[in-house]
Amino acid sequence: MFLNNSTLPVLEQVVAFTQSRHGVLAGNIANLNTPGYQSRDLSPEAFEASLGEALAARRASHSPGTAGVMGDWRIDGDPGLGLTRLDSQGAAHFGRLDTDDLAGVSDSMKEILYHDESDVSLEKQITEIAKNQGKHNLAIALMRTQYSQLRSAISENVT
Amino acid sequence: MFSAMDVSTSGLTAQRARLNTISGNLANISTIVNERGEQVPYQPRYVTLQVDEGVSTRGGGKGVRVASVEHSTAEPIVRYEPGHPLADERGMVAYPNIDMTNEFVDALEATRAYEANIGVMEISKDLGRQTLQIIA
Repeated sequence: MFLNNSTLPVLEQVVAFTQSRHGVLAGNIANLNTPGYQSRDLSPEAFEASLGEALAARRASHSPGTAGVMGDWRIDGDPGLGLTRLDSQGAAHFGRLDTDDLAGVSDSMKEILYHDESDVSLEKQITEIAKNQGKHNLAIALMRTQYSQLRSAISENVT
Repeated sequence: MFSAMDVSTSGLTAQRARLNTISGNLANISTIVNERGEQVPYQPRYVTLQVDEGVSTRGGGKGVRVASVEHSTAEPIVRYEPGHPLADERGMVAYPNIDMTNEFVDALEATRAYEANIGVMEISKDLGRQTLQIIA
């Protein structure tokens, strides 16, 4: 299926992360003159590491055409158990398959890191916001091209 | 692209620190009593900058950081003001040795350097935007 094999879910995570981080950084700017305020941040490194792991897991489990639903004879309640992985020779491997590897990625956003910095530097925060904006715009631009490809396919018309 | 912005940011922070000390020097241009109430004229402070190896780009560009804030060792200027309540027995009062012209030129230089760093940062951002236009 197009939406599962495209990079859209990955880009969605990136956009969600950059938007959350923008909110946190905006809070730092707002509290520039608050006594005792410690600047907060979401770690892009942690997010990227988590995203990298999820992508590796996804590539291993269901790259195009290697995963199939084998009916409802497996254990109920866990969608992962209803799936079977086929290896390159076409042999079926039973076992739990993670249906949504990217679900774990957003967990890396839940933990806000506190940096014990004595001063909130305006320049530093602005730069972080600008960098974050760059990443966000990159993800949005990639998403836009994917959607325009999808639209081209639906309308059978190159836009 | 992003590391170039970090280098520019270090420049911005350093130049702002420099401007802050200059504004302190100008604010205290007539201060003849120190923070403990002793009759010691204000010693102007100057920021020294140092290459910061921790911030660098792939091309070998290095960041900058404030190494220290040095107190000037210049002798205070002594003026004859016999009516001054803090004058010594010879009627002399010690004033800080701060040259306003010098400070203003320094401030101007720091401001220009700050603007230059912002200019470089805008170029870095523009490069990123241009790259994006290849994809989109």
